[in-house]
Amino acid sequence: MDTDAVAALIREGVPDARVEVTTPRHPDDDDHFAATVVSPAFEDESLVDQHQLVYDALGDHLTRDIHAIELTTYTPAEYEE
Amino acid sequence: MTFEPESDLSADEVHDRVDETIADNEVALFMKGSPMMPQCGYSRKAIALIQQHRDDVATVDVLPALDTYREALEPHSGRETIPQTFVDGEFVGGSDILAKLDERGELAAKLGA
Repeated sequence: MDTDAVAALIREGVPDARVEVTTPRHPDDDDHFAATVVSPAFEDESLVDQHQLVYDALGDHLTRDIHAIELTTYTPAEYEE
Repeated sequence: MTFEPESDLSADEVHDRVDETIADNEVALFMKGSPMMPQCGYSRKAIALIQQHRDDVATVDVLPALDTYREALEPHSGRETIPQTFVDGEFVGGSDILAKLDERGELAAKLGA
């Protein structure tokens, strides 16, 4: 998968998400990603639940096409800070 | 022979090992490799963060039966990614969440240290 495909899945699954996906190891790496996700859906959710929303959006791709994704999640208010 | 094929561990043994490790230990980490020799950067990060605060962490290397461990962990955490950290039977997170808790200064308390 490429970063655009990963970002598209997250945008599809997480309501009103602003998403940035990078490959932290190497530009051509196609299975280790880092994602920053900002969404109002994270409000009042624990970190585990915030990450779960993103993992759910990635579905079966995670552990199969995607070896790992480093996640950073913010609510819009947190991101403004 | 040091190589252990996956068939050495039955699915039942893996499920029992996961259930018991989570139930019987205050802090449990399922990781790729061992604390001395982690086989993945995320597992390395997770064990390092935990060991800043606690020495008594029970670790399980999932590599000998990776897919079976993923299946066995899912009912406990809702996810199949490795690593996974549990404290007092409750899922805490993978390496990103441990790092975030550490950054917030909340990791020691979360680990009961």
